[in-house]
Amino acid sequence: MDFIFLSILLMVAGTALCLVIHRQFTLMKTTGVLAISAGCLIGLFNSLIQLFHPGTEAFAAAYLHGFSLSFAIDGLSAFFLVIIYFVSFLAALYSFHYLSTPEKALRTGLSYLFFSLLIASMVLVVVAANMITFMLFWEIMSLSSFFLVVYDYEKPENRKAGYLYFVFSHIGAMMLFAAFGLIYGFSGSFGFDGAASLPDWVKIVVFVLAFAGFGSKAGVFPFHVWLPHAHPAAPSHISAVMSGVMIKIGIYGILRVYAVLNDHHPLFGEILVIAGMISGILGVVYALGQQDIKRMLAYSSIENIGIILIGMGIGMMGVSAGNPVMAVLGFAGGLFHVLNHAVFKSLLFMGAGLVIKKTGVHDMDAMGGLMKKMRITGITFLAGSLAISGLPPLNGFVGEFFIYMGGFKGAGMDKLPLILSLMAIISLAVIGGLALACFTRVLGVVFQGEPRSERAAKADEKGPMMLIPMAALAVSCGIIGVFPEVFSLMTIRGVSALNLGYGDIPFSPFLQMTGNISRSAAVFLLLVICVLAVRYFLYQGKSIPRAATWGCGFTRPTVKMQYTGSSYARSIIDFFRPVAYLCENHPPVQGVFPAGTQYSSHVIDIAERYMEVGIVRPVLFFFDKLRWIQQGDIHPYIGYILLAIVLLLFFV
Amino acid sequence: MIESIILWILAILLSPFYAAVILKVKAFFGGRKGPPLLIHYYTLMKLFKKASVYSTSTTFIFKMGPLVSLCAALMALLFLPIAGRPPVLSFNGDVIFILYLLGLGRFFTIAAAMDTASPFEGMGAAREAFFPIICEVGMFMILLLFFQLAGALSLSAYFTGGHTAALWHMAGAPMLFVVISFFIILLAENSRVPVDDPATHLELTMIHEVMVLDHGGPDFALIEMGSFIKLFFYATFVERLICPVVSANPAVNFCLFAVILLIIYKVIGLVESVMARYRMDIVPRLLLISFSLAFFAFVITLEFVK
Repeated sequence: MDFIFLSILLMVAGTALCLVIHRQFTLMKTTGVLAISAGCLIGLFNSLIQLFHPGTEAFAAAYLHGFSLSFAIDGLSAFFLVIIYFVSFLAALYSFHYLSTPEKALRTGLSYLFFSLLIASMVLVVVAANMITFMLFWEIMSLSSFFLVVYDYEKPENRKAGYLYFVFSHIGAMMLFAAFGLIYGFSGSFGFDGAASLPDWVKIVVFVLAFAGFGSKAGVFPFHVWLPHAHPAAPSHISAVMSGVMIKIGIYGILRVYAVLNDHHPLFGEILVIAGMISGILGVVYALGQQDIKRMLAYSSIENIGIILIGMGIGMMGVSAGNPVMAVLGFAGGLFHVLNHAVFKSLLFMGAGLVIKKTGVHDMDAMGGLMKKMRITGITFLAGSLAISGLPPLNGFVGEFFIYMGGFKGAGMDKLPLILSLMAIISLAVIGGLALACFTRVLGVVFQGEPRSERAAKADEKGPMMLIPMAALAVSCGIIGVFPEVFSLMTIRGVSALNLGYGDIPFSPFLQMTGNISRSAAVFLLLVICVLAVRYFLYQGKSIPRAATWGCGFTRPTVKMQYTGSSYARSIIDFFRPVAYLCENHPPVQGVFPAGTQYSSHVIDIAERYMEVGIVRPVLFFFDKLRWIQQGDIHPYIGYILLAIVLLLFFV
Repeated sequence: MIESIILWILAILLSPFYAAVILKVKAFFGGRKGPPLLIHYYTLMKLFKKASVYSTSTTFIFKMGPLVSLCAALMALLFLPIAGRPPVLSFNGDVIFILYLLGLGRFFTIAAAMDTASPFEGMGAAREAFFPIICEVGMFMILLLFFQLAGALSLSAYFTGGHTAALWHMAGAPMLFVVISFFIILLAENSRVPVDDPATHLELTMIHEVMVLDHGGPDFALIEMGSFIKLFFYATFVERLICPVVSANPAVNFCLFAVILLIIYKVIGLVESVMARYRMDIVPRLLLISFSLAFFAFVITLEFVK
């Protein structure tokens, strides 16, 4: 515990110093990066030790006389701590060359301070051992990330994104207050321990409220609306941390509440699987329809949260059906995917950030051909794309494999668990295929082919501090994929802390599965090397000329003729038309000598569309009717407060 | 183990021969004599001797496309029980691994096509990304059914020795659905008529062939080899489904396997001869039929198993 506090102290003090020395831009950045990365390394080292030496460590202190702040680390906390520290460390390194406008020195310094506050608050949320501590740091986390989202506040769309995020995180927090309030109301203590003794129906209400609250942070459909707006607005290293780590704190919250409720009602798992399937499929369908590369990645995060929820849901269904194998596989798969997604999504956001920085555009259809000039970015992005599509021998496959195995165990049962497991497996297959389509599209449109704009043709990749974290993450994708043993042990430690009542979870079945994956990956790599040798031999001593691409007889091709991202995705979007309506704008060609015309299209997110019609407008209408309460004079307001307190004193 | 590896190598060597059978059948229906049965070996030899011309638009991914798709197909074949004998590799869950590995091959084929900046290849790539999604759903439905029956997730648990006969014994009628459903998946995954026409002359109407337009020489030979092996993989799958008997004598067993496989390739040729390629927007319907058949089979089996 001391090391955790030391790491936080180091980060916050170091970045606070940034504000003082912001006139020396490079010195300030160095201080900020060094402070955050040193803090993260200390924390990472400590949490790895905690993870592999099971046991609970606790600490408590009085806060404002009335409450006690208490902290504890168990396997689940340590698992998330490892992810938080690892990704934040690399994101801090990345920021050194990424934040390169000396004119915004003070703002950069502030962003380092908020960044370290964000890391600190995520760490403290994860180790919080009572509800007050949890909510205190949860709010600091939301606020610090809000200030990071509005880093470029001059642009109106960024302010709008920040506002949307602010509203969503507070509605989410309200749900959490309601859930925790119920626990407090029935158990009479702020500790999590009392939650286990709640009546059954209260537990269900608490779980549903907490799921909605945490879901709005995690980006579960339909609470995801803020996510595709906030991620593109934030600087890329922040998007990497927000998407890779912060939304997972929502997942942590769901798991923690599930563990403390200690109730295995079948409804919990069913809610999670259904929400997971919807988020997963719709997330990736909308991702396919996006033009903005970071918006696309944001939707893909929604998809991956869906996969994680499916895993956890299968786990919970397994627990309530008394099927320990299915339960452990589901939870382990879900947690494994949490780790995987943190690794490859932060990698992809960093790559996208570098591409946007160098080309100056967000629109994928204005990029193209970047693989030749930005080789390291391209190769790491390729690794990330393969991993996120869940393809072996990279890491994305391992987590999904566990979830599949858990799901198939569920298909051996009957009635509702059977139907849900069946649907979960089918959705995972659909999500896998769509993710492949989505990421071949990004790779093909952004990195391959010919440059589609001037800026894209001139892009380069200078800034080694941005490339090193990306390379490190890409290598991690490979290592986790080929040697998943240690990492699945980490997930098992996390699962053990879930209070499932299975005692020591045997590790040998996992060892067998990961061993099989490792062996098969090794055989596959061996095959690749053999065929590569054959290929080398076949090309020995031959002259290899280069020429233009075969245009099927057409001799005057232009780069504009390339297949665009929108046309690539068109037929798939059409297949999902009821949920993903493609809105097109194309004035028809008229006359004998037609004037120029244009074409633009975007996919409508049904949650966003119906939220406006179904929630925002009625709420506005209702509050419009209550406008008479607002006098604009101070006296009535003091009156309202007094009245409210008096009423509360009487009735509560 | 030695036997399995020999069968694996034999399968690789035989796959171009079987693919030529389809050409022969199509030629017969067209009233022609058709190319010799060894045509694909000649073509491969010719391609191996050539050099390649690479487009100036391409990067290293273009060269990785053929390599990875061939290796994925070779790897898938390692898990397949050929002629009912145990495969080289096998573990619980290997089917998922194989499906995702073939996905890896597809990823690189698509990426190699997108690398050329050609609009035709982009068009093919978009189709290649779309149709297999529905196929995969059908495949997983079939897997769910097999899991219900066999209680395991590996090809060797379905197709080794008498295991397939046991599947038929448990649920004969649904298995008929599975055969048809899987045959449709075979046609779609291997870009055969009515999903794709490998022999058409118009690039706009192709899926797989248009994606490899820019490949030539040994690279193209690797692609061809990969698609022969992939077709062999799927055809063996069907062979095991329709001919579950296994004789104790390995020679008889292998001959039986070779003959049934020949019939399956002839049926593929027959389908190609009597059908036209569907319009692209009709293809998803065909694939959904395959899924529905597998789904019905699963639902029916739920009763059988109880």
